[in-house]
Amino acid sequence: MGLFSKKGGSVEKRMRIFFATDVHGSQRTYRKFINGAKFYKVDHLVMGGDIEGKFLVPIIDEGGGHHRVTLQEELSHLNGPDELQAVKERIETLGFYHVTVSEDEIREMQADQGLVDEAFKREAHRRLEEWIALADERLAGTDIMCYVTGGNDDPQELIDVLEAADSEHVVNCEGRIVTLDETFPMANCGFSNPTPWDTPRETDEESLAKHLEEAVQGIDDFTSAIFNFHVPPYDSTLDDCPKLDWSTDPPSPIVIGGVAQSAPAGSHAVRDAVERYQPLLQLCGHIHEARGLVKVKRTTVVNPGSEYGEGVLRGCILTLEPGKIVGYQMTSG
Amino acid sequence: MATAAAKPEVFSRKASGLSRVMSPWSAFMYNFLTMGVIFPWTIVWAPAAFPGVSVWRASLFAILLELPIALAYVWMATAMPRSGGDYVFQSRVLGGAIGFPVVMSGFVIWILQWVALAGWLLANLGVSPLFMGLGVHYENQSLIDVAIWCQSQRGIVVISIVGAAAMALLLVTGFKNYVRLQYFMFAGTGILMVILLVQFLRTTPAEFAAAMNHFSNVVDGRVDYYNWIQKDVADAGIDLLPKFALGATLLAVPIVWTSLQWATYSVQQGGEIKGARVFKNQMFIIVGSLIAMGLSLALLAWAQERAVGTAFFNAVSNSYYYLITASGDGIGSVRPLPGMLAIVISPNPIIVILVAVSFMLASLQITCNCYIGMTRVMVGMSLDRTLPAWFSKVNPRFRSPANAHLIYFLLGCVTIVGYNYWLSWYKLTLGVTFACGYVFVISCLAAALLPYRAKALYEASPGARYTLGGIPLVTVFGVIGFLGGTAALIAYLWNVGYGLRGESPYWGYIVVAGVFLICLVGYWIGRAYNKGKGIDVNYAFLEVPPE
Repeated sequence: MGLFSKKGGSVEKRMRIFFATDVHGSQRTYRKFINGAKFYKVDHLVMGGDIEGKFLVPIIDEGGGHHRVTLQEELSHLNGPDELQAVKERIETLGFYHVTVSEDEIREMQADQGLVDEAFKREAHRRLEEWIALADERLAGTDIMCYVTGGNDDPQELIDVLEAADSEHVVNCEGRIVTLDETFPMANCGFSNPTPWDTPRETDEESLAKHLEEAVQGIDDFTSAIFNFHVPPYDSTLDDCPKLDWSTDPPSPIVIGGVAQSAPAGSHAVRDAVERYQPLLQLCGHIHEARGLVKVKRTTVVNPGSEYGEGVLRGCILTLEPGKIVGYQMTSG
Repeated sequence: MATAAAKPEVFSRKASGLSRVMSPWSAFMYNFLTMGVIFPWTIVWAPAAFPGVSVWRASLFAILLELPIALAYVWMATAMPRSGGDYVFQSRVLGGAIGFPVVMSGFVIWILQWVALAGWLLANLGVSPLFMGLGVHYENQSLIDVAIWCQSQRGIVVISIVGAAAMALLLVTGFKNYVRLQYFMFAGTGILMVILLVQFLRTTPAEFAAAMNHFSNVVDGRVDYYNWIQKDVADAGIDLLPKFALGATLLAVPIVWTSLQWATYSVQQGGEIKGARVFKNQMFIIVGSLIAMGLSLALLAWAQERAVGTAFFNAVSNSYYYLITASGDGIGSVRPLPGMLAIVISPNPIIVILVAVSFMLASLQITCNCYIGMTRVMVGMSLDRTLPAWFSKVNPRFRSPANAHLIYFLLGCVTIVGYNYWLSWYKLTLGVTFACGYVFVISCLAAALLPYRAKALYEASPGARYTLGGIPLVTVFGVIGFLGGTAALIAYLWNVGYGLRGESPYWGYIVVAGVFLICLVGYWIGRAYNKGKGIDVNYAFLEVPPE
């Protein structure tokens, strides 16, 4: 027993979860997430969405064992299989996908967006399938479940891959209620309010409110409920980010008088839902830079942030008892 | 692996992302300003502490001391481009049991001393010269009396607390407000550097002597002060024209380091810098600002000594810093600090106001830097649960960590009073350089061990490709920085010239060691307390194996 442990407290219904979000295709970050179950000694894993990567990096075969690749605005010429493998691993750590193509194929892709989309989809689906298999392998022989929902960046086809998977440990919980340890009902929704990036699963606030309403249908008692909603509540400080000019591609920070403007980018609908139902906990992400934990009325809201590009697993370990959060800890693994 | 710039061949899709708002240029200026206003310390202290010193050469040597440290930080900053800087580097590579006490003691607690020092600079380099310069110009005794009060213990304490409170309020009410003021601070420091250089370069010792005599006569009623102060110190047995001594110059390097060690301060805000992961950006921000400021300081020191004359330069240093006086009358009310001397040369209202206001802005910039950097570290520690959750609470109205700011301001007030009213505390002025120095040295150690203790993190970083004879370059620079920084720390412990090594009962050593031990014990108590809540603090620092 620790120096400050309470004597005699019942911990029968205590549950530890590890929550992370916005891994955006990062191989290293996801592997850490799955390994985090045993490392952090938790009962379950919860993934909060935005699992698909953002970039596809062509590795161009120049013949004779030579390749070239442009990564992080720098062109590298690769000589031999070792350098090629090292670059592939670096691309995967960054959350990017890679395809090896010939000079002709890269020219075709540059000229045809359809080919790029097809390659993106193929690689994203392949990686998700690998991830599901990895979870089953690493969690085999345990009761640990890995609850996964999509985010606004994840197209429906990717959620379908998740749904179609025949997995013992990975649960697609998008749009449905799952009950953790038969005690903590968790409602899930990966949709977001509009963003400057025009992402696959964003919608207006009114429509988002309907999605959220549907997501919580079936929960009668919110005392121990968890909302796994991808977007943070509006104006909760977990949604602070630079104010962006939506007319540029990519969107750029708005600077007035030399001062970068910031603004809340969370959802009014999410805030309304949290304030109306007051669950025990809301897990969110979406705004990578707004890491933190706040209270919205009774509800504890957690955004662990994301640094997937550095291969860093940002997360939060939460220890729950019915109707109560016993402790939490932000991690940076 | 060969590299070259070319047209990108990458495809992206529509997806939301992180936006960083601080440009590399702003980060460069941030470092430049952080180093900037501290230099008067070197010029007024080093000649008396180490006779035979060449201050401008010491400034150049200090660049060499800091260079490997700065390079090690470039690697670390690109490998871990997030806010929290040294705390993140050390805790992730060496573990929380090292990272927390080192950064908590060396930075969070000892940088409180900088809050006091910034207040001292505000009073002595900004407010007092403003009134004194105007008083001399208009021959108004009331203004001169106000200037002299500003240099008194009570005056410094009042000015320091007002400045600290104003900056805390500014930052609590929103970072945007500070950014607005920062542009004026940038401009102020630039104007200051130019004015000081122009004033010193256009003045001969004879012209300066005449100006100094007039100024001192108006302020203190003294006659022929320029020659008198030299005689007063020389009669006390001080050689005012000692031969150049390389050893003394090298010993002065750790004093210059007080300024140049802050070339790395932008890493505390790594999470906000655009392109923080790009190597050339961090080279520009950290190494570029170091070289720019190091050369500026060397030029200023050379120009000031040339303008006022070496004998006077050495005399006022001894008289002011070590209170050496044969007659017992001492230095008088005109403080021999660079801004004051620039005003002495030509006390017209425009020069007086420009120099004084620029120094005020630069001093307030230091106060802001203390708050900004340290509240971020405290928030990071709080999220790691090594500090209570109270510290990371964000004020919903102002959207800033108001609790962290409040506690830092209150502790800053205690430090201000202690520093100005307790001589033993004042003697520990450069204790802060020692304490911050050991943070940088331990970060260098973390850099040296990065490829071995955080292999995955290192291999994913852009610096991983640079090696020397098979040894990662970050390890090479980390080791050199560690050894160079350690040498400076040993000098602090060994040589009485820096003020840390006093007489028995060796308060300097006791205070430095005591602060560190308190933080170490605090870490273990916090760890035990959290364990009772099912929280293992170690999880905050340990990297989950990816394989």
